[in-house]
Parts: sequence; C-alpha cells; structure tokens
Amino acid sequence: MRTKKMCAILGNVSEFQGLLPLTEERPLDTLPFDCKYRLIDFPLSSIANANINSIFMIFNDRGTRSVFDHIGGGKEWNLDSLKNSYFVYFYQDFLKQKAQGLPYYSAIIDYLEKSESEYTVFLGSNMLCAIDLRAVLKTHQKQKNKMTMVYKRMESEKLSADNRIIQVDKTGNVETIQAFDQVLEKGERLNLSMDIFIVQTKWLIEQLIIGQKNDSSTNLIEFLGERMAETQTTAYEYTGYLSNIDDVASYYQANMDMLDAKKFNALMYTKQKIYTKRKNEVPTYYSEDSSVKNSQCATGCIIEGSLDSSLISRRTIIKKGAKVKRTIVMSNAQIEEDTVIEYAILDKNVTVKAGVKISGTAKHPVVIQKNQIVETDVIGGNE
Amino acid sequence: MRTEMLAMILAGGQGTRLGKLTKKIAKPAVPFGGRYRIIDFTLSNCINSGIKNVGVVTQYQPLALNNHIGNGASWGLDGIDSGVTILQPYSSSDGEKWFEGTAHAIYQNISYIDQMDPQYVLILSGDHIYKMNYEEMLEEHIANNASLTVAVIEVPLKEASRFGIMNTDENNRIIEFDEKPAEPKSDLASMGIYIFNWGRLRNVLLNNYSKDGQMLDFGKHVIPSYLEAGENVYAYHFDGYWKDVGTIESLWEANMEFISLENELHMRDKSWRMFSKNTISPPHFITETASVSNSLVVDGCYVAGTVIDSILSTDVQVKVGSTIESSVIMPGATIGKNVKIKNAIIGENAIIGDNAVVYRENDIEVIGYSEVIGVQSDED
Repeated sequence: MRTKKMCAILGNVSEFQGLLPLTEERPLDTLPFDCKYRLIDFPLSSIANANINSIFMIFNDRGTRSVFDHIGGGKEWNLDSLKNSYFVYFYQDFLKQKAQGLPYYSAIIDYLEKSESEYTVFLGSNMLCAIDLRAVLKTHQKQKNKMTMVYKRMESEKLSADNRIIQVDKTGNVETIQAFDQVLEKGERLNLSMDIFIVQTKWLIEQLIIGQKNDSSTNLIEFLGERMAETQTTAYEYTGYLSNIDDVASYYQANMDMLDAKKFNALMYTKQKIYTKRKNEVPTYYSEDSSVKNSQCATGCIIEGSLDSSLISRRTIIKKGAKVKRTIVMSNAQIEEDTVIEYAILDKNVTVKAGVKISGTAKHPVVIQKNQIVETDVIGGNE
Repeated sequence: MRTEMLAMILAGGQGTRLGKLTKKIAKPAVPFGGRYRIIDFTLSNCINSGIKNVGVVTQYQPLALNNHIGNGASWGLDGIDSGVTILQPYSSSDGEKWFEGTAHAIYQNISYIDQMDPQYVLILSGDHIYKMNYEEMLEEHIANNASLTVAVIEVPLKEASRFGIMNTDENNRIIEFDEKPAEPKSDLASMGIYIFNWGRLRNVLLNNYSKDGQMLDFGKHVIPSYLEAGENVYAYHFDGYWKDVGTIESLWEANMEFISLENELHMRDKSWRMFSKNTISPPHFITETASVSNSLVVDGCYVAGTVIDSILSTDVQVKVGSTIESSVIMPGATIGKNVKIKNAIIGENAIIGDNAVVYRENDIEVIGYSEVIGVQSDED
C-alpha cells in the first residue's frame, strides 16, 4: 500500500437555513442520522475506507463544539495513529484574510504541500452516500484530466435551487454545469453534482495561488465549480444510495429511507463500512408491553410503548401506552405514558410529558428542539 | 514507575464444563449478555476501580481473547501510564512455562510483575459476572494491615461444598479455610479474588518452588500455608450480584437474569459502566412481521420473527416465521425461516436452517460456534 497517495479536504460551509432549528447549535455535519450516526460519519468513513490518512476540515466558527465532541482524537476513523492526522480550519478565517487583502488560501496550500500527496479529494457532508473513493481515483488516473467530479442521476423533484447540475459529453467529460434553477429543460432525471472532486494536488495548489490573486470564491465548492467550468473534467457516475440533505423535509426523508430495507442495505451494508463514535451502551430492552413494527433502535433504550416506522437513538425511554409513529427520536429522549407522537423529529434530550400529543405531517414534520420539555400538545408542521 | 496495585486476571482455564462453547475459545472470551464477553466484567471493574495496569494470564485457546482485548483501548487501558498485557506461557532457559495452577501461573509471571513493581497484587478470575469495587477492598486490606485479603460471598449452605469455604472471627480475620469441603462449616465462599502484599507472596512462591514446588493453587496451597504461617488473612464481604458462569446451566441462567431491568447488576447505572470492544454495526431493525417481548436486542440485528424472553447479540438475524424463546443467540448467528428455538444457547456465527427445531426437554440445547443446522434458503 502506498501511503500519502491521497489527502482529503472536507468542508461544505453552506449554512442550510432550511434545516433550522436542527442546525441552530450544530453544523449540518453533526446532525444525528439513523439512530447512531452523524452525517459527517459518511464522508469520514469513505475517507477511512480509502486509506486516506490526512484530512483538512473546514467548518464555520459557530457551533463546532459538537464536531470536536464527536470526532475527538479521530480514533474511530483511524486518524489517531502515528502517521495519520486531521486539521481543522475555520471558514471565517478565509473571509477575514480575504478582506485584509492577504493570500487567503495559504493555510490550505500549506496543508497540501506538507501532505506530499499526489491527489486531493474534496467532499462535503450534505450529500449522504457511501462512495468508494478508490474507484473514483482509478477512473481519475485513467482519464488523465486534471479534475474528476462525481455525480448521480437524480429525480428532478428531489433537487433544490442551488444544486449544481451537469451534462456529460460522449467522452465522459463534463460538458455544461448549471445551477438547478437555471436548467431550462428539467427532464425526469438530472445529473446532480455531488460536490465530490478528485484533483491533482500539484495542480490544485497552482490554481489556489492563481485564484487568491484573482478574487476567487473562499468557498471551495464554488472555487472547484469554477475550475470545473474551465478545465476538462471527468464525470464519474455514482450509482449507490444518495440523499441530498438541505432542509428538514429532506433530512426527515433520508432517515425514513433507512426503514426501506433496500435503501438501508445500500447505504449501510456495502463494502464501505460506516464508522461512528463508539459508545458503551447496554442492550436495548423491549418489555412485554412493547409493540414494535418497521422501526430501528440504537442501544441503551427501554421500549415499553409502541413504535411504528420510527428511528430511536441511544438511551431513549418510551413508556407504556406511548405511541410513536413515523418519528425520528434523537438520543436520550424520555417519552412518558400515553403520549401520541407522529411525523415528528425530537432533537436530543427531549422529554414528552404523559398524555401529550405531537403531530406533524410527512411533508412538514414537527421539530421539537433540543432539551425541550413538552407539556402541551403540538399540532401541525413547522412551515 | 511504581504501581500501587497490579491486577492479574487468570484467564487460562479451559472451562471444559461449557462443552462446545469453549472448544475453540477460552472461557473468558465466551459472549455474554448481547454485546459483552465474560471477561468484560472483570476488566471494566478494574478500570472503574482505578486500576491502571492489568496482566491477563492466558494459556488455553487464547486467540479470540487476545483479539478481544487488543491494546486495552476498549476499557481505556491504553493511556500513558496504564496498560493491559497478555501473558502467554513461553519457554526460557529454565524450561517451558506452562501454568499448572492459579498460583503457579503467578509464579511463572514473576518477571512481569517485578517489572510493574506493585505494592499489592490483585488476583482475579476472568469468568465471573459481577460488579465490584476493588479499591474498597484494597482500603480494607490496608486498614486491616493484612497480608492477604480474600473476597467472600454468602452462598446457600447446600451449595457451599462447591467453593472454598472459610471461617472468620468477629474481626473478619480468616481462621480456617477448606477448599470444597464435603461438610461445610460456614456459608462464606471464596470468590477467587485475592489481594496479596506482593513482597510477601513473591517470597512464598520463590521459596516453595526452590524446594518442592507444591505451591500450585491459591485455594489448595497458598491460603492454607498463609494461615499456617500465622499471616494476617482477612475476608472482604461482597453482597452484590455474583455469578460463576462455568457451566452451560449457569451461563444460560445468568443470561436470562441479565434480561430483566430489575437485575441486581444494575447495568444501566452510569457510575459503574461495563465496557466492551465495540463492533461496527448499524442500529437494529425490527420489521413489520416481528414481535419482541421481554428481550434484549443490540446493534446489527435484523428481526422479522418472534422473540420472547431472549437475548439477541450483535448482528443476529431472525427471519420471518421463527420463534425464539428463553434463549441466547450469540453474535453473528443467522436463524432461518419458521425455526423454533427454546431454552437454547446458539453459538457465534451459527446458522440455523429453515424449519429447524432447536429444543430439548428439561435441558439447555447448545449449538456450537459456526455450526450449521439444516438447510437455509437463499432468498431473505
């Protein structure tokens, strides 16, 4: 195995207003997913599975506590051994330096130079997938273009205004690139750019040096998008599970997808193992009174009530007579007796008092914010 | 750096009474309670008691155990001043160092213990299910100015002849010790947990082995010789849940007791957590056709059948139409369609084919590791 072949940059710094209030105190990256994961586990696992041993992560300076809490020393993704490492940089520092007229990409350039890697892969956290980066690299090496980008054919209805859509020419290169809302002919399916790129590190350094002289975007996705428009780029089609998470509805749907065995297997049981922070929870207990259908649970829970098509995170207690349906429950929730909860997202540490009803709709699930104690009924979706 | 108390876990026993379950792996590595292995309880007790250095003495079929323990990181035993060391028999210029008894295993590892330079050595077995604070035991040991402290638990008098039984005076000093007596004089049983002042034990072991070498076993030889020599030997009373899982019946029973939320082990008590090596598995999936009652389920399970009063360990699959009752399904086992399992222990990675029946009247049925019963259909 040749080490230092590839290094990684992780960082989609968009604020995703549509995810509020779930992202009030955390970036999208650490949004809980499928009972025991965080969204960032997926790109980090893809990176770990490709034997990449160095990552440069860019976050907004707000709400990173949960990031550090989750990643810790990086052991779970094999980032803590002698030759492996990760670096964290705040996006706002690029902006500050740019405002002061300084060479604002210097931190990335410095990182790339020291990484001694031949290739650099860029990923964000909002395109939920389990991608084999080694396969993308192989294609990249064969095609001999400076850049390779990854796309997936997606139903138009699942796309949003600022998604980037590409067209591929006969040779497998990117022909055009447009924002979704500028695409005039919206066929049934379009090629969604997954904001995953592999580039020659040396070339990227050159481009960054030129870019920071020419007032290029501080946002690397935009920066790489601009380069894609002017450089011959290989288009790599990803055919696995993908969810494009940018608002509450798409986040809710991606979780609900996990109750579809095909989609669950396509994301969780591929060659790509998904790693997450390890916890030592006790097994989940189902009482004699419990009734559970089509649901997933993490460990550490006590289930005495009924669950239907729901996802229950660690250390949640669901008391007798409680009915939970089509709901995402994040960790450490207390759901008391005779509650009715349907089409809802309960953030961490929520308590729902006995007898309370929470009811949303599939399109507009009710979001109960972190640490809330719900004592009165909550009916209707958050618009 | 000097270690105050070094723990030595004796994990080398073959555990023949567990039959198929210990044919290929050592008893302490046998899966327990859904996501643990038996030795996790002892290792977690060590770290929770503030013990930073642990030697695990292995001998019989150690591969699974070594793999499980690794560098000790799962228990936080990989810090700058802590560690876990797997101690295998080895050959040296003095001959081969196979272990012929509990005390002999310590004698053979004197050079390791000397390297750690402890003041006290805590001797533990790797095959008991319990939560215990060894630090409290050490405090009593020091307060009593003892040379040896033996942890004891009250057992029903009719069972006492299975244990090392001791008589104590009103100050908890042990005045008599009978290993497995036919007619027990008390109900205080040794738990096989000892704290020794290392300097003294070291001398006793070295002196004896230089003469006739009869100091093989703690219960049979070392404790009686301590009493004979008039050493300060004290009992430390333990009154929590403690289970020796040395037989199929006791292993099954301990697992069944483990299911209940009222279990005296208080597994959900965060102040004394049990740690284990975590596997990488998604949350468990309970399908439309499933029914789960009074049971424990962990990560990676897929349940489409009926589960009653049972434990499903990591990555277990139970297909549609099957019923599992009062059973322990060990990690990675696959239960096909329309299977009936009752009062059984299904070994790791075993495959139970469609329509099979695993049940034996008035007995616990055991299916071995990776054993295949019947034929399994391909589709799910």
